[in-house]
Amino acid sequence: MISISKLLCNLDAEGDGLRYDAASESSKPQIADEKQRKPVVVWNATRRCNLYCSHCYAAAETTPATGEFTTAEAKRFLDELADYGAPVILFSGGEPLVRSDLVELVAHAADRGLRPVLSSNGTLLTPEKATALRDAGLEYAGISVDGLPERNDRFRGHDGAFDAAVSGIEHCLDAGLKTGLRYTITEANAADLEGVVDLLVDVGVDRFCFYHLDYGGRGGEIIDADLSPSAKREAVSRLCDLTLDYHDRGEEIETLLVGNYADAAFLVEYALETFGEERARAVYEYLERNGGDPTGERIADVDYQGNVHPNQFWQGYSLGNVRDRPFGDIWEDESNPLLSALRNRESHLTGRCSRCQYQSICRGGSPLRAATTSGDPFAPDPQCYLTDEEVDGANPVVGDVAD
Amino acid sequence: MGDNSRRSKVECDERGNPRSQWEVFVRQRESEPMCHVGSVAADSEPAAYEHASHLFDRYAVDVWICPAAEVGRYSARTLSAGGDESRVSEP
Ligand code: SF4
Repeated sequence: MISISKLLCNLDAEGDGLRYDAASESSKPQIADEKQRKPVVVWNATRRCNLYCSHCYAAAETTPATGEFTTAEAKRFLDELADYGAPVILFSGGEPLVRSDLVELVAHAADRGLRPVLSSNGTLLTPEKATALRDAGLEYAGISVDGLPERNDRFRGHDGAFDAAVSGIEHCLDAGLKTGLRYTITEANAADLEGVVDLLVDVGVDRFCFYHLDYGGRGGEIIDADLSPSAKREAVSRLCDLTLDYHDRGEEIETLLVGNYADAAFLVEYALETFGEERARAVYEYLERNGGDPTGERIADVDYQGNVHPNQFWQGYSLGNVRDRPFGDIWEDESNPLLSALRNRESHLTGRCSRCQYQSICRGGSPLRAATTSGDPFAPDPQCYLTDEEVDGANPVVGDVAD
Repeated sequence: MGDNSRRSKVECDERGNPRSQWEVFVRQRESEPMCHVGSVAADSEPAAYEHASHLFDRYAVDVWICPAAEVGRYSARTLSAGGDESRVSEP
């Protein structure tokens, strides 16, 4: 995750400790004292979903799946995560709210010292459910919206999904839950960005989280729906402008980019152009501590069958299964040569990533997109939108730090 | 004879999410044992092998592929506490 608001608008947020070694500089309480060494764990609590979204990385279905954890298995899994020291559990899916024990599991996670957060399509978040989740200790709800109503509903395969999601957001906000928007940017919905942001600034969300499309799940079948690299650059640039704009108007909404670390390099370039060298250097230094693409290191995923993946989109490869071995043992086992290489990827990156001046804040971008398109996880990310001049050139900020 | 009473069968072995899982084993050098390196999702053995090759080509002399559902797993540690469990999906 890259926080545009933090980097360009100096907005502190509680999640910063999970992205930067910035805790000591922040005025807000931090959920980790230093950049965490243990991963945030995404758990696809169920495969089942009440919607059928075209870009779903979990390839969720409307029918029940076999092999989901029972309540007792889920609790033991959460216990093992807590014992291992995972800082955050993200309840995801499918749609996690179709699990009737979700509130109980959120409470269990909170009791065990895991920070429970939720990713949902929002359509099942009634006022009662939002209140129960808050009381159980839920700390954040991220609700997915993927365009203005007409486009969103087509994308999500369900009329009224947009209005239902916005109602869900409102119910969470009314319950006092920190609540944000999740928006996966594609060719189809890039034009709706401004409209959705305007609408949800008015609703009062705490966070905007913009995802780039990764190539797992059904997303892998819609590579063609991804933006071209130049359109992607344009969209990120517009998001930076938008963020500055609503922060200027006093709307202090945390704004994050997820899933494409070329964004880190772009933000340095953007800061240099917009604010000058000093600010750009500060942005670069923050991003260097952030450490680039987190796959296999600072993010992990466990699917509804217990398979452990290097990140939530990489559903085609599993490091092991928590039914066979505790999560922490799987995650720490660097006898797995791929896991070990992901953690030392500087020495494996090929092509222009191997010589890129931004390598230390990007680390080659998404190894999943690279593997899906070229077969090699350490090949350049096909969605890197930096120009050759930017990759090979000497940004004065980067040059100074390297010196 | 070993004591096998402390191990129980690990249930739910299909592991498909929803595509079939194939356990992957690689031998990094000829002198080394085969090591389990996780599983890949694929519709057939050749597709699983191709997928695993991409991920492990540079590390492997030998690659073995085995349908996850065909592995009998017995463990002294289990995620399930045993006993009946109610359904967790709401209708
Ligand atoms: S060239 Fe590679 S390392 Fe550099 S910004 Fe692009 S993806 Fe990242």
